[in-house]
Amino acid sequence: MNKLSSILLWPIYTSEKLSEWLLFSFRKTLLFIFLLITVVLAWQASKIRPDASFIKMIPSSHPYVENYIEYRDDLAGLGNSIRVVVAAKNGDIFSAEFQETLKQVTDEVFFIPGVDRSALKSLWTPNVRWTEVTEEGFVGGPVIPPKYDGSPESLEQIRINILRSGQVGILVANDFRSALIQVPLFDTNPDTGEKLNYQDFSNQLEELIRDKYSSNEISIHITGFAKIIGDLIDGSVQVALFFAVAIIITLILLYLYSGSVMGSIIPLLCSLAAVIWQLGILSTLGYGIDPYSMLVPFLVFAIAVSHGVQIVNTITLASATNGDDKLDASRHAFKTIYTPGLTALISDAIGFITLMVIEIQVIKDLAVAASIGVAVIVLTNLMFLPLLMSYVGVGKRAINRAKVNIEKKNSRWHFLSVFAETKGSYTAIAIAVCFLAGGLYLSQDLKIGDLDKGAPELRPDSRYNSDNTFITENFSTSSDVFVVMATTTQEQCSSFDTLSYVDRFQFYLKGVPGVQSSVSLVDVSKRVTAGLNERNLKWQSISRNQFVINASLAHVPSGLMNNTCSLLPVIIYLNDHKAETLKTLTAAIEQFIDENPLDSVDFLMAAGPAGFEAATNEVIETAQYKMLIWVYSVVSILCLLTFRSIRTVICIITPLALTSILCQALMSQFGIGVKVATLPVIALGVGVGVDYGIYIYSKLQTYLSKGHSLAEAYLETLQSTGKSVAFTGFTLAIGVVFWVFSPIKFQADMGILLTFMFIWNMLGALILLPAIACLLYPKKAAPAH
Amino acid sequence: MLNNFIFRVFLVVSACLAPFSLYAADRLEQSALVRENAEQSLLLSVAQSQSRLISVGEQGLILLSDDNGEKWRQAPAPVSTLLTAIKFSSPNNAWAVGHDGAVLSSSDNGETWQVNLTGREINQLRKSALEKEVERLSAENADPEVIENLTYALDDAVFAIEDGPTSPLLDVLFTDANTGFITGAYGILLSTQDGGNSWNYLGHRLPNPDGLHINRVYQLKSGRLLLLGEAGLIITSDDQGNSWQQLEAPYYGSYFSAVETDALYIFGLVGHSFRYDELNNRWEPVSLSTEATINDAIAVDNKLILAGQGGALLRQNSTGFSPVGERQLRSFSSLVFTGNTLVLTGETGITRITLGKE
Repeated sequence: MNKLSSILLWPIYTSEKLSEWLLFSFRKTLLFIFLLITVVLAWQASKIRPDASFIKMIPSSHPYVENYIEYRDDLAGLGNSIRVVVAAKNGDIFSAEFQETLKQVTDEVFFIPGVDRSALKSLWTPNVRWTEVTEEGFVGGPVIPPKYDGSPESLEQIRINILRSGQVGILVANDFRSALIQVPLFDTNPDTGEKLNYQDFSNQLEELIRDKYSSNEISIHITGFAKIIGDLIDGSVQVALFFAVAIIITLILLYLYSGSVMGSIIPLLCSLAAVIWQLGILSTLGYGIDPYSMLVPFLVFAIAVSHGVQIVNTITLASATNGDDKLDASRHAFKTIYTPGLTALISDAIGFITLMVIEIQVIKDLAVAASIGVAVIVLTNLMFLPLLMSYVGVGKRAINRAKVNIEKKNSRWHFLSVFAETKGSYTAIAIAVCFLAGGLYLSQDLKIGDLDKGAPELRPDSRYNSDNTFITENFSTSSDVFVVMATTTQEQCSSFDTLSYVDRFQFYLKGVPGVQSSVSLVDVSKRVTAGLNERNLKWQSISRNQFVINASLAHVPSGLMNNTCSLLPVIIYLNDHKAETLKTLTAAIEQFIDENPLDSVDFLMAAGPAGFEAATNEVIETAQYKMLIWVYSVVSILCLLTFRSIRTVICIITPLALTSILCQALMSQFGIGVKVATLPVIALGVGVGVDYGIYIYSKLQTYLSKGHSLAEAYLETLQSTGKSVAFTGFTLAIGVVFWVFSPIKFQADMGILLTFMFIWNMLGALILLPAIACLLYPKKAAPAH
Repeated sequence: MLNNFIFRVFLVVSACLAPFSLYAADRLEQSALVRENAEQSLLLSVAQSQSRLISVGEQGLILLSDDNGEKWRQAPAPVSTLLTAIKFSSPNNAWAVGHDGAVLSSSDNGETWQVNLTGREINQLRKSALEKEVERLSAENADPEVIENLTYALDDAVFAIEDGPTSPLLDVLFTDANTGFITGAYGILLSTQDGGNSWNYLGHRLPNPDGLHINRVYQLKSGRLLLLGEAGLIITSDDQGNSWQQLEAPYYGSYFSAVETDALYIFGLVGHSFRYDELNNRWEPVSLSTEATINDAIAVDNKLILAGQGGALLRQNSTGFSPVGERQLRSFSSLVFTGNTLVLTGETGITRITLGKE
């Protein structure tokens, strides 16, 4: 064990000597290089752009998504589309003014780059038609009559055509007071190969549509993934403000803590440099910044500050106790902090890296961004911070204050040291067990996935969600769409066998709880077959005569079959997108496929927002445990290597585990589901939380080895590092607590959870760690004298 | 003999393999799915016998209710084609017909159902009926033109066998426990005199040379049979279906329903409705003040109640017709009156409307 760990930790020990020699021999050159890199990376960082791609937010290796990607070109409008609703505030859509506005909005949307123009659908696009057979024979045409002139007669004609087109509830509201434009988007522009810029697109919608056409008569409502992302990016900009606030508060705390102006400004600047480096490197590597990785700079900043504090603290103590000069004190601080600091940072980085097991690109990007951030802290705060301090020093005042404090033998930590005594430890453990039981009980209702209606990324009262509510209330097609792709060999998508099989499937679906309705080629064929037979309901069936089927499918609305007729999507509208609804649905579909296998037709899941959500939920549900196992095993192994004792690992890991469970209880009580945004929180919390344990236990071990009893050793530990541990907890918490005010719901959720985890992990390390140590080392618990 | 043996072996083997075999892809062999909320499906017809209501519709749905249509349960059905009509032939005995020529019967008040006929048998019945007729007429040295036309019809019937059971049946009526008629698309008319043990194809005997769809079979109080169909097709029989006569139509669109109170009323496409004036022997138009096609009509207290396209529901009063209840949007297909309630079927399944005083 010893041998193994010394082999494994060998690079850290050797790198310490090497870097010390390098750093302190070429101070000026290195500082110059450091400044130069910072300037270059700052320039790079300034080029970083918000970036969000639809495909990155869904688990790309999940079979559902793989199926979708295989057929995405044929599924225009079912992957990524937005819906624009033009609503009349007074009266209905049958006025010349309203129709004129609707026409203009349709034209306006048509020309926004990124729109799949051929699949755009509105009352004013020629692909929206009606067909009917009367006693005079077969009639049909576009909904807007070719001779439309705004007269009452032609408006009446529109009214009749709408009723005959079957578009009520789809393109026209059930109350005829608003009309909808379906706007499918290209994720990548097929002409230019450019990725859709969601922010630009969303801004164009606002400027060209909402601002221009909203009036006393007309209101505009827009929903869709692209709009959500646009709003998310806009909302994220506010995060910059929180960052400024966090910097100021951190600066004040740093000054109160160190009592040194330079000892406050330098760590702050170095931490900012860490953020600049992180963003600069990301930008150089071609990464953008999405609403999830937006939070990484906060974490990097907070972690950097907490390590900077350790350095400054050590420099001050070295100057006060040994009377070292600036250079020697800095050199001493470097030597003291380098190993535990590097270990802690590596454990942070590994905690973040475990996020890579989740097959969702945004989470992987977040893991990369956070790991890069932690890696640069090694350079900026473990290496260059002591270098800078070797020039400026901490100042006389801070050194004197430290001297006074040392002599005073600070006793305010006494109350905490009772937890290292038998009685206190039992109390602490009893309380922890109560918390554990309560946490386990309360976290039972922890749900996977999104729990709110509409776009849960945004707050329930956001404009997007009120737009979404408007559309859900007035149109029959909910935005919770789940698409099953029925695939056949070429030209077989409309065969009698295929259609009657899909017909049975859709009939089955209507009995599945949570399903509102479903639409496919089958509905078109049945409706038109009845239409061809005088709209007689008794003919509303798939005809066994292939010629009748072909005739019924003469005018298929786009998106219901592909060009080669090998794919027909079954579009399922759901009541909501709660994980339970989606799980019931996917299980029901699998059951149908099992019980009704047909060689010639394959049902592939899934596309549509609810389909991707189902895939995401499945990935998250398994990844949740996988990630916990990974992060805890990796952190445990790291502790085991460092301390070479199972009991120590238990001492350090148990408080973290308790916090994780309490965090889950908190999520279940606050109605926060386990989702893309909240899953990383636990890994981040554990990765950062283990630092406290490592710092405290390494000190405790030093004092124990000097022969102190546990209680004495613990008091000593508290006196030397208790303050900086507590300070670290608060710095980290301040870095994230302001997210609570974010207009973006998931950032607020992450803010709550991370603040909770950082504070509780700190308390756990200060209270539970010694209590467990007391229990596991009963001999040491007894007073030595 | 050998063939029979091989067939039996085949049956035994396939029965053993059944649990592993692919599902029967054809909706004529495939039993109906049992499903939640089935009463919200497309239902086309409802029939009543004593306190039992039976309704049929899409995917072979057969629903039973014993509480005036409030609660429904699904009866297992041997096919999953769209069923278009249901009638009782006597208390406990019911008949349902539908697409692909499916004819189902139940002798236990609708609890269990058997396949009595399918389009495949109907195609054979049609072919052999035409063959016999050609034979008979040739023997009688009848008009060669008639024989020629029948030969063409026979050719069609042979082709139809190749095409499979494509023709839907549209209505069924039993005038007593043993005598029944089934009508369908392309001029199908079948009859039975022995409670469905054997069926005769009668389509070629109708004055319907173009094979127009026959939407409805109705019996008047006088015992006269009435067939209503496409393009102004009105045919009657006064001898239980032995001979048929075409009536001059007042309108050359399709007719879908008929009901007799003080006189016979018939209802056609887009609101065209007529009352038969017995005295003057002519049809007189009835104004419904709607352009909705009426799909079904019943009499309650000797006054008509009409249900049809676009949720039309009208009640006859002393001066004409007035809408019942709030205007619905989805089409109704049929209705019965039970207790004080109208039970309607249609696009969205069962609708119940309490019928107040006028």
